[in-house]
Amino acid sequence: MIRVLLADDHSIVRAGLRRLVEESGDMEVVAEAADGREALRAVERDMPDVAVIDLSMPGLDGLEVIAQLHMLHPRLPLLVLTMHEEGQYVVRAVEAGAKGYITKQSAPEQLVSAIRKVIGGSRFLTDQAAEALALRIARGKGGQTPLDSLSMRELQVLRRLAMGATNREIAQIYSISIKTVDTYRARLLKKLDLRNNAELSRFAIQNRLIDL
Amino acid sequence: MRLRFILLVLSLLAVVSASTGGYLFYYALHKSAFQEAERQAQARVEMFRIHLEALLSENLRPVRTLAAFPEMQAALVGSGKPSLDKVNRILDHFKATLEVDVCYLMDARGKTLASSNRYDPDSFVGLSFAFRPYFQHAMSNLPGFYMALGTASRKRGAYCSYPVLDPSSGDPIGVVVLKSSIDVIEARLGLTSDDIVLVTDPRGMIFISNRGDWLFKLARRATSRDLESIVRQRQFGAGPWEWIGLEYDPEHRGALLDGERFLLHHAELESIPGWRIIHLRNSNAIAAAISAPFIRITGPVVLCLCLLIGSAVFLLYRKASGELAQRRAVESALRESEERYRCLYHQTPAMLHSIDTEGRLVSVSDFWAEALGYAREEVIGLPLTGFMTPESRIYAETTVLPEFFKTGVCKDIAYQFLTKTGKPVDILLSAIADRDHQGCLVRTLAVSIDVTQRKRAEEALHLAKEELSRYSKDLERQVHLRTREITSILKHTPAVVYFKDMEGRYQLVNAGFEELFGVQNDAVRGRSDYDILPREVADRFRAGELVVMDHRRAHQVEEIIPQADGPHTYLSVKFPVYDEAGNPSGICGIATDITAVKKAQSQLRRLSGSIMANQEKERTAIARELHDELGQVLTALRMDAVWIQDRLKTHDERVAARALTMCQLIDKTIGDVRSLAYRLRPGVLDDLGLVDALELYTAEFENRTGILCVFDHQAVASPGDTVATAAYRITQEALTNVARHARAGHVTVSLVAKDSRLSLTVSDDGQGFNLDGVEGSEGLGLAGMRERAVLAGGQLTISSSPGQGTRVVFVVCLGDQLPLSLDGTS
Repeated sequence: MIRVLLADDHSIVRAGLRRLVEESGDMEVVAEAADGREALRAVERDMPDVAVIDLSMPGLDGLEVIAQLHMLHPRLPLLVLTMHEEGQYVVRAVEAGAKGYITKQSAPEQLVSAIRKVIGGSRFLTDQAAEALALRIARGKGGQTPLDSLSMRELQVLRRLAMGATNREIAQIYSISIKTVDTYRARLLKKLDLRNNAELSRFAIQNRLIDL
Repeated sequence: MRLRFILLVLSLLAVVSASTGGYLFYYALHKSAFQEAERQAQARVEMFRIHLEALLSENLRPVRTLAAFPEMQAALVGSGKPSLDKVNRILDHFKATLEVDVCYLMDARGKTLASSNRYDPDSFVGLSFAFRPYFQHAMSNLPGFYMALGTASRKRGAYCSYPVLDPSSGDPIGVVVLKSSIDVIEARLGLTSDDIVLVTDPRGMIFISNRGDWLFKLARRATSRDLESIVRQRQFGAGPWEWIGLEYDPEHRGALLDGERFLLHHAELESIPGWRIIHLRNSNAIAAAISAPFIRITGPVVLCLCLLIGSAVFLLYRKASGELAQRRAVESALRESEERYRCLYHQTPAMLHSIDTEGRLVSVSDFWAEALGYAREEVIGLPLTGFMTPESRIYAETTVLPEFFKTGVCKDIAYQFLTKTGKPVDILLSAIADRDHQGCLVRTLAVSIDVTQRKRAEEALHLAKEELSRYSKDLERQVHLRTREITSILKHTPAVVYFKDMEGRYQLVNAGFEELFGVQNDAVRGRSDYDILPREVADRFRAGELVVMDHRRAHQVEEIIPQADGPHTYLSVKFPVYDEAGNPSGICGIATDITAVKKAQSQLRRLSGSIMANQEKERTAIARELHDELGQVLTALRMDAVWIQDRLKTHDERVAARALTMCQLIDKTIGDVRSLAYRLRPGVLDDLGLVDALELYTAEFENRTGILCVFDHQAVASPGDTVATAAYRITQEALTNVARHARAGHVTVSLVAKDSRLSLTVSDDGQGFNLDGVEGSEGLGLAGMRERAVLAGGQLTISSSPGQGTRVVFVVCLGDQLPLSLDGTS
């Protein structure tokens, strides 16, 4: 049985989550915490196999909890379960030491598989989260990089193009027209003084915009 | 020209007369010289003849003596050797005493028996001279004279022979001869080289001459008979005997030789018949003998005379032609001056006319004719008064003209002339009289000045003066009025008004000023701020005034002036006052007490800040409530809905479908709630800070609008809540403006922290706008942005112009004490 810690300040949500975990069959919720400090204590007390932690909690902030847990128990897989779906949170959570990041909205579909994934030592990130992380890593290194002059959407299109996505696919992902994608591509080539998609890929790899 | 010709003729005449006189003189001289020469020649010829005959006859007596010597007879008869020796001795004796060439004795057959030269190389003892005429003569018992070239001695000689008579019979038995040298005779004759003297035989053979080269030549052309006889007689050697070319010219008693003319004189020798002396004198030499000294003496005189005459003529000519040229120049100058005078008179741009004593026009200038519209020919000869108006005519005839003819001058007489078309012309006439030698008036010269224009101008000037005076009065009245208005404004305005000169001394203060500072206008005039205010306040005032002077434009400041009830704030406008030349002459200041306004404004700002802060606080609370509470509940609901759907999937399809619908509805609701919360206030701003919030917002903005939005930031530490909120809201507002108005394709949001100053810049490449037109209006939310910036303790600068994009810059000091905190407490 996989021993799970649930930390969320909302009891109703917690109850829903417990049900989701326990219905998986091979998992059990060994501890619940309504705030950050409680979560820390619960980890010390019950030593769970995985900790599912909300970012917004009274008392100690979720990110702080994750940072402390990661410091104290580096091997403990930490899964963030939160209302926030903005990439900025994902980046912060991963930086703090989280292994996985899912929104509460997608919990019924993704929680169990996410727990399994992080237990197995892998990361669990949605596509969107992975993208936000990659872009932040590429840009957020500090110091000037050629990426500074690009807008978020340009970075996104650049990354997708470098990963081999077609214009049509990119258009679908961001709900924009194919023509717009082409405009972005042309502008990227001009801004970065590149000639084709192969060079775009090489540029993206050099600037660690995609993981290999 | 004429003078030149006369001078030329005169000089020619002088030359001709001088040369004629000279020639006549020369001719007379020449003639007398020739007569003299002829006389001289005759004398010389006669003298030569006598001399020669004397020399020739000199030996006649000695030869006779010699012939009478018995030794001679003895020698001829006996012809023994002793007798010959005697004879020889006698002959030697005679030769030596007589200084003759040779003495010799011949026998009856002509053979030379004895001779004084018997020992000489040219001795002719033994030779026979029977062919000689002198021998033949002697043998005929006659003394003989003979002149010939010696056959043995080859010397010319004069032979003198005498017969030696037989004592018994008295017949000649031999001959004694004395031969004297012609050379010696020639020398004794004393022939000079001036002339030529020839002694010729009857055939013309020249035997004696001062021309050595002519000896033994013929003086005239010889006949063949003559030549034969010369050869036969052996008298003159072997020949040939050429003719010297002398031709006689009996007509002129002269001769020609080689083209030269000679005077010729001759005389017959009496002792030798047929022989003659010929005297030749070169005519040219005679002429030369006269002319050479003549020319030598008279030449320089003539030359000097010629030069004198020539230079005199030349000088006279020069002087005369100089005078002529001068006269011509004077004449032409006179003509020119006359012409110029006429031209000047006619063309001078003044009305000139002249009248005679009858008052008739003699001449008028072009301008005169033109001014009155006549041609000159039309007016000459007509009375001047005919061109005047009737009044002027009467005035002229009765008063002016009689007076003028008396005095000869008049000045500035005002007439009215009539033009041809009848238009009156006002003129002023001045005239003088032109008099002849006797002082009688001949004509006049009058100048008229057309004063019509001047009169008109004077009238216009007069009118203008009146107008001006009216204007001036009006102006004075208006100035009065305005002054009263301004004075009452100054008196009743609540503002403080003052005028100062450039040095800051008061010139005028109004009632407000008097009240504020408790001074009277008269007391403060001429004094500066330093005299009536505390030093630091005066310093501040003066500084403001200096700024105005420097920039030369209005300057607005708030000044704090301490008063009894505490410091008051005045909004003071100071501006330079200019004099007529545009130079600043002083400063005017108008100060309004805005203490109450300031207080109200401050309160209003605090209120506004408080409202804004409260609003943010409310929004944060609601957003959090929505997001956290409602959101969480909704997610819990969703979980249940999913659970239900899973459970009933196999049992009741309809309920499952219903659950799915519910689930979708919940999803949508969650999205709405999240969006609502985000719009109220993004949780990222509170949870993660300004950078993340702006990153999120710009990305969202780009997605939403399609405008490329680059967020450029350097690792900026998150500022305090107030600043972060202000920065976020300003960005929001600015980007909203971009999306709505700018028509931009690209916008950059840049967040830079430097030297504890945070600056946020939002700049787009859009169409921009005119700041003046928009400032103040609430349309673009510019005032709101500014208010937020001020409340956060920062400054907002907006720069934009049409076509140049817009740039909004928010700068705030991070270290500063914030004037207002979020909760609105001061």
